[in-house]
Amino acid sequence: MLAQQYASIKRDLDDKGIVFSFSGYLSEGILYSLGEALREKMALEAADGPTIRRVFSVFVEQMQNIIRYSAEKVSGTAGRAVELSAGMVTIGMERGKVFIVCGNTVRNSEVPRLKERLDHLKSLDRDGIKTYYREQLREEPDDGSRGATLGLIEIARRASDPIDYDFNAMDADRSFFCLKVSV
Amino acid sequence: MNVRAEHHAMDCLTIPATGRTPGVSFDFVSGHLRMTGESYPDDVAAFFGPVFEALRGFLGDPDGGPIRFDMELLYFNSSSAKALMNIFQMLETVAKGGRPVTLTWCVEESDESMRELGEDFAEDLRHVVFQMREMPAGGPP
Repeated sequence: MLAQQYASIKRDLDDKGIVFSFSGYLSEGILYSLGEALREKMALEAADGPTIRRVFSVFVEQMQNIIRYSAEKVSGTAGRAVELSAGMVTIGMERGKVFIVCGNTVRNSEVPRLKERLDHLKSLDRDGIKTYYREQLREEPDDGSRGATLGLIEIARRASDPIDYDFNAMDADRSFFCLKVSV
Repeated sequence: MNVRAEHHAMDCLTIPATGRTPGVSFDFVSGHLRMTGESYPDDVAAFFGPVFEALRGFLGDPDGGPIRFDMELLYFNSSSAKALMNIFQMLETVAKGGRPVTLTWCVEESDESMRELGEDFAEDLRHVVFQMREMPAGGPP
């Protein structure tokens, strides 16, 4: 029963082409280790440096978005200050392209602003994204975003298809946010 | 993070590269500044704080000579991009004041993303001399 249940989870991941998956509390340490494994895996498949860095860049920005903005965090001291953010990250291959899907809980009050940003990015062509990047590079970060805007633009810029996002309402306060990027 | 900045009476700032923080070698005597490796620190402010501080001291010297800044990073994340922009704006300010500054943006051949980023950063440099240089894949020796 045990192996059957988990084999079924594994099969679901395999069927979606997912090569790496992590669900739970994320930290900068996990970002680093998972990122190393991702780069090694791509290098083994003979991807060139610029391609690996394009995928890696999307991965880093997606992971740091979860670490900074997940509405599900635990913090305290365990010898030193520790803050962990819950979320999901999956990386896979689909029609010859790498895709990264990240998911995390967000507060419903943040949903409209996030939607607006993502829709704006989706509406821009390559030159529009480039111009938007140049503007934001020179902007002071707005309150509470800690530089999120530039990170999302970086993601859209490295993507080979338009970014795809979705929200799933969990309760009156929170939604599950998903962002899929193909590189 | 286990990074030690070594100050020698502000003649130089040397920070060895780690897996996710850049190598910094600022020679304030010759005016040759260089950043190498990759930059996606877990705490950007903690890493770049001492770099800004050393630079401010160096750039504040009214008798300073020409500056050569070699940007050899292979990858940097969006938070590091903001920090780099700050550095280049500091350089632009002293260049505007008459100090010769050359910024060399090094890109691996065929790395179009990094080349495009160089153009983004160079866009509003009026007094800093900006040049793009190709490096062989795998970075400089």
